[in-house]
Amino acid sequence: MSSAWRNAIVIGIVCCGVVSASDWTFAKDPAGEPKVEYDGRFAFVRLRYGPAVDMSAGYGRYRREPPWMHDFPRADFHFLKILSEITFVRTYIDEGTIVTLDDPDLAMFPVAYMSEPGFWTMSDAELEGLRNYLNKGGFIIFDDFRGNHIENLLFQMRRVMPASQFRKLDISHPIFHSFFEIKELDPNSGYYAQMGATEWFGMFEDNDPQKRLIAIANNNHDLGELWEYSDTGYMPVDLSNEAYKFGVNYVVYAMTH
Amino acid sequence: MFDALFRFLFELSPIVFSQGEFRFAATTGSYVAAAAIAVAAGLTLVAYRRAHGHGRPGQRVTLAAIRLAILALILVCMFRPLLVVKAAVPQQNFIGVLLDDSRSMQIADANGQPRASYVKSEFGAADRGTLKALSDRFTVRTFRFSNAPSRTTQESDLTFGGSQSRLGAALSGVRQELAGLPVAGLVMVTDGADTADAALGEAILGLKAEGLPVFTIGVGHETLSKDIQVGRVVTPKTALKGTTLMVDVVLSQSGFDGQKVKLDVEDEGTLVSTQEVTLPNAGTPASVPVRFTVNEAGPRVLRFRVSPQPGELVTENNSREALIDVRDRKEKILYFEGEPRFEYKFIRRAIPDKDNVIVTSLIRTADNKYMRQGVDSPDELVAAFPKTREELFAYRSLIIGSLEAAALTGDQLRMISEFVDRRGGGLLMLGGPRAFAEGGYAGTAVSDVLPVVLDRGRVQPKGTVQRLTVRPTRAGSGTAVTQLGATEAASAEKWNSLPGVTAVNRIDAVKPGATVLLMGTDESRAERPMLIFQRYGRGKSFAFLPQDSWVWQMHASIAVDDMTHENFWRQLLRWLVDGVPDQVEPALTTERVDPGEAATLTANVVDPSFVELNDAAVTATVTGPDGTIQDVPMSWDGEHAGQYQATLATKAPGWYEAKIEATRGGKPVGSAVTHFRAAPGDAEYFDATMHAATLRRIADETGGHFYDASNTSTLADDLRYTGRGVTTVEEHELWHLPIVLILLVGLLCAEWGYRRVVGLA
Repeated sequence: MSSAWRNAIVIGIVCCGVVSASDWTFAKDPAGEPKVEYDGRFAFVRLRYGPAVDMSAGYGRYRREPPWMHDFPRADFHFLKILSEITFVRTYIDEGTIVTLDDPDLAMFPVAYMSEPGFWTMSDAELEGLRNYLNKGGFIIFDDFRGNHIENLLFQMRRVMPASQFRKLDISHPIFHSFFEIKELDPNSGYYAQMGATEWFGMFEDNDPQKRLIAIANNNHDLGELWEYSDTGYMPVDLSNEAYKFGVNYVVYAMTH
Repeated sequence: MFDALFRFLFELSPIVFSQGEFRFAATTGSYVAAAAIAVAAGLTLVAYRRAHGHGRPGQRVTLAAIRLAILALILVCMFRPLLVVKAAVPQQNFIGVLLDDSRSMQIADANGQPRASYVKSEFGAADRGTLKALSDRFTVRTFRFSNAPSRTTQESDLTFGGSQSRLGAALSGVRQELAGLPVAGLVMVTDGADTADAALGEAILGLKAEGLPVFTIGVGHETLSKDIQVGRVVTPKTALKGTTLMVDVVLSQSGFDGQKVKLDVEDEGTLVSTQEVTLPNAGTPASVPVRFTVNEAGPRVLRFRVSPQPGELVTENNSREALIDVRDRKEKILYFEGEPRFEYKFIRRAIPDKDNVIVTSLIRTADNKYMRQGVDSPDELVAAFPKTREELFAYRSLIIGSLEAAALTGDQLRMISEFVDRRGGGLLMLGGPRAFAEGGYAGTAVSDVLPVVLDRGRVQPKGTVQRLTVRPTRAGSGTAVTQLGATEAASAEKWNSLPGVTAVNRIDAVKPGATVLLMGTDESRAERPMLIFQRYGRGKSFAFLPQDSWVWQMHASIAVDDMTHENFWRQLLRWLVDGVPDQVEPALTTERVDPGEAATLTANVVDPSFVELNDAAVTATVTGPDGTIQDVPMSWDGEHAGQYQATLATKAPGWYEAKIEATRGGKPVGSAVTHFRAAPGDAEYFDATMHAATLRRIADETGGHFYDASNTSTLADDLRYTGRGVTTVEEHELWHLPIVLILLVGLLCAEWGYRRVVGLA
């Protein structure tokens, strides 16, 4: 990566640090979750789903937010700022959007992000919604899963796209070169690398590797976590930078392919 | 009617009067009579002046005037008025008779008989009808004509199978044929349907210069009682394979008001479109939009056909053919986008990889950072947007997305303008925050080309969007780009169901020559142009204002298999590249010639920056239907820059392919292929009524006379008085004409009647 890009990312991270989570405000839809009013800009769309295990119902140290919400909203907002700083993509800033797969508004945002698909379940309506979304031209990013969580992802996506399958991607795929020139896919670079090799899986339109990617999944990785804490100093800058590079490439690829 | 009345009153035909000269043959008695009449006139005046007690002065003046008129009329008669005319000496003069031998003479509208029957019965042999009357007075030379005139001596020469009626050529040809002979005049027997490309005026001028009158006989009716005609079909000369064309078919009819008929389109015999249309009222041609897709490459004959209806007099004009050169080749569009956005992705996605339209795109993802897609070579667009005309003009069309004008140099902006104006390319600017006036294009060379008016002081405020529903305008509905359904109704329904879009550019006015194809209605019910088109120079330009037509693909209300978005963009991009010229661009005067006739081929030749070349070596290699190949050199026509011409002879009927190759200094400039065919035309059956106006014009301008076929009894006599050829002088006394007697009696009766009325009897 050139020093110019490195500097840009660092500057972006610093900018993000200016804003504290408590300042964030967003419009909420009737269900009580934030949703931007579409005006042509790119929105970071986080998919909400009913988890197989309602972890929010736990107690003590087991209590946490639902898995789909993991890293929200800091990861989303940080990423939008970086994306708008580095690229010419016009984005909403400090505005999040949370939709379900059966929400008609999902169609207005052809790139969507799902966190922790290991806990993902779908109603029939959501299944239909995602299938239509991907077939029409949508693109989905699966992030923040590890170990055997991929089994649930594969199971759910088989329901959505029975004729398609995830294929392991190598560095030659254009998604790794759509904006940043990513040199290698290091199996030890993922956030959860200690739980298994980091791998990138993609699902293609019509199950044809010559066609566009409709979904990408980072196995044993958590880009959202690295974006979320990129302004705190908890994470090494290089790791955060790499996470942003993947995220930016995913979005630029999805907007050009 | 007028002729008969004239002949009754004057005992001679109007032609004799128009050719003759008035004179008086006064004798001594005439002067004696004049003196007596003068005395009578004086007595009349004195008598009326003294009659104070009888009637009012005005009544006496009227009676005196009538009496004086009677005396004046008698005086004129006493001086023996004469009409002196030159009359042709019998059998000393020639006349040329031109008989129409074309196919339209087979139409049976002459009292239920074919027009040809009249020709045969009146002119088929020297002992029949009108020809006998002519032969009694003149030496007759008979000619038949369709494409060109030729002598005919027997009835069997007439076949009535000619595919054209060239009235001008026929008249000029016969005039030359009879040059040097004492010709009294020409007689032309025809329905007057002139199908020649050249104007008739030139032939008439020649006849006028020579003083040779033409007597025309119109055969047939001026209207057909029952007929449907496919009057006109305007199709592009070339089209890209897979293009959906929207063609206006002009239908006219008589006798079938309001009737519903099927209008079919056949591509080389294969039905590609059919629709039910309601025929317009008689005399009011109606334009019917017809949509079809050309899926087969090569020269294609498209036939637009209405099935013959019962009772139709002419069924051959129910169909019309058009030749379209369907090209199966790749046409490249350069799409320059200024920011990653979904509109870019979905436009690219709408065009399939194997489509004939190739979208080569350059997208700016960040400052000075570009991504290329669809390039042919590693070097293509490697330095971003083209910096030379040669590089830019290699593309056939250009799309500019949300890219500010400042991203281009002044020369690049001028290049884009010239791309449309000089190269003849298509330009499409897409809506976006960096486009149009919002992108700083007002006042640039590009704004001159665009079909919308840009004003840097009237821009959309930043951060605001217009939310609009989009519908085709009336003009837009007639174009292929707005056709989203199989039928007009289905298309309208689809537009009504499409989700709304957003726009971030303010357009208050379009250029005077521009056409709004799509109109948007915003939330305040205000209308805003969304898709605008205009021709500019050799090319064309479009403005498309929505920034997110992709919602027509993604929106939840759109079915997964709905092709609306794809169809819209495929059709728009095909229109964008349609008709964009190559470096060597052929043109034919006509796509069809009769077998044996020559076709004129022209070609415009330019260099890579589209500057006309006058020093190129251009050759047309013509392959005939029988496989024969001939090389025909094409030469610069000396008048138009870059235009080369050649005449290509035809022999066998069928398709001819002309491959034109241009070189300059031994280096190839370019090549192109065009097609034409040698086949009999069917123009004879169109507008196949008797064209009385044309025939009257020929007669009036040459000093002849027009006759309806039902009334030619005076023709032979009239021809005697044309004043041409070997003539003798005839004097016709006029004093005893019925008109004189009627006038005299009328005046006397008027005097008597007036006296009765005013009580002076």
